[in-house]
Amino acid sequence: MSFDIAARFAGFTLEAQAEIPPTGITALSGPSGSGKTTLLRAIAGLEPTAERSVTFAGEVWTGKRPEARGIGYVFQDARLFPHLSVRQNLDYGARRRGTSVAELDAVIDALDLAALLPRSPERLSGGEARRVALGRALASRPRILLMDEPLTGLDRARKADLMPWIARAVAGFGVPALYVTHSQNEIAFLADRTLGIAEGRLTGWSPAAPQLLGRVVAAVDGRVDVALGDRTVRLAGRGAVGETWALPLGDAYVLSTQDPGHSTAPLRLPATLIEPPLDGQCRIEVAGQTLTLPWTAPPDAAPGTPLWLTLTRVTGRLAGPR
Amino acid sequence: MSLWDPIWLTLKLAGLTTLILLVLSMPIAWWLANTRARIRPAIEALTALPLVLPPTVLGFYLLILMSPESTLGGAWVRVTGEALTFSFSGLVIASIFYSLPFAVQPLQTSFQSVGRGMMEAAATLGASRWDAFRSIALPLSRRGVLTAAVLSFAHTMGEFGVVLMVGGNIPGRTRVISIEIYSAVETLDYATAHWLSGGLLVFSFLVLTVVYLMNQRGGMRTGG
Repeated sequence: MSFDIAARFAGFTLEAQAEIPPTGITALSGPSGSGKTTLLRAIAGLEPTAERSVTFAGEVWTGKRPEARGIGYVFQDARLFPHLSVRQNLDYGARRRGTSVAELDAVIDALDLAALLPRSPERLSGGEARRVALGRALASRPRILLMDEPLTGLDRARKADLMPWIARAVAGFGVPALYVTHSQNEIAFLADRTLGIAEGRLTGWSPAAPQLLGRVVAAVDGRVDVALGDRTVRLAGRGAVGETWALPLGDAYVLSTQDPGHSTAPLRLPATLIEPPLDGQCRIEVAGQTLTLPWTAPPDAAPGTPLWLTLTRVTGRLAGPR
Repeated sequence: MSLWDPIWLTLKLAGLTTLILLVLSMPIAWWLANTRARIRPAIEALTALPLVLPPTVLGFYLLILMSPESTLGGAWVRVTGEALTFSFSGLVIASIFYSLPFAVQPLQTSFQSVGRGMMEAAATLGASRWDAFRSIALPLSRRGVLTAAVLSFAHTMGEFGVVLMVGGNIPGRTRVISIEIYSAVETLDYATAHWLSGGLLVFSFLVLTVVYLMNQRGGMRTGG
């Protein structure tokens, strides 16, 4: 999709043009007050005076009302309808966009919402409400998901719980997502690419944070075993055998030239240096994959030097199509 | 003429006025709750005017407006063949003006508390503006709608000055309860005055109790 947004408020100007790839999660990241939410709202048609042009898959959205755009919007504050049950909240968009029963059931299953269906939104915890809000948006069969800091206000543990659900929803339903956040943690875990924004101007693209890809070889009861080369690591999360999972490294890794031996770290992988550090970044080969990681190498490190990549914390998510 | 004539007439007037008022007030209240137009305070003041204006003043202007010599009154005569002044139809129109703030204000407050956010969420889920109003704003404002209906009905039931100015005192046609009480006292028929006054007193007390009960329940629900 492409957009050209311009908005002027008292003391603030937003000018942004970009082309967003139609797959995976694109993070829109910047400090508070940088215009992220306004940009997202303008794409959704919620700021009619701000858009100069918005097109999606060759279709002109400029001037169209939000309901005619086929978007799914996940608001920061969930915005569930308090007079409707969870089931009715899910049905609301599903009925208006002609979602089939099977499609709706798939959403309920993917986000594990079955037990919440008869509940009133007022009786949901913060994390449950966000999950229902995501489900409600997905149940309306969106062509693109627009998520405005959907994890804001939740504690760290709750966020860590919810991120795999978001990844699973986006990857599993093949809906591209634009994800507003200022959390590096969320970007590292979820984003396939990041578009920066500051003071109402886009500041450029950054690629996905380094991650390893592995194949699920066993899945039971909220745990999956993911194979990386000849190693297997056990992760929390729901998955199915044969799926490809991404293990974002974040800042929870150590690269060393010496075997750290037995440690309490959950995963230790042999690696090879492909290209020595340039501007603090080096390329390595690990489990059949090439990664570029920031690393201060010893002066004698040359291509082919054997290395060890130790992950001090391992989390993973279903990877999108690539 | 029986005691029931003014009661039946008053109930008919209050019921009809309430129905028409609800339909008329909804778009006005919705607009007031959502607009940022500069003209809003003036329109708000206009709808609230019957709260502070003496009923005789309102009645006087309505009498002028509805008289067969005026544009509106004349047009009414040409279409229906009867004058608006001193008729039941005239009373309904006068009551709509008289009770307007009692319908608009609770609705406006309710619509404001629904908030733009809920309507936006509905729009992103494929609901048109009318659809979102019907399926989200209206059910979330049901307490406001009920309060508006009850207050408009009760306020019209107790109407006196405006009715006297516009409708006069014609038995079976414009003689509502409050005017019947006035006539009864003037003719020293205290028994009738007691029955009707006591009835209105109890009715008004019950209505207000119901409104406050509804507000308390609603407050507890949103608070909990």
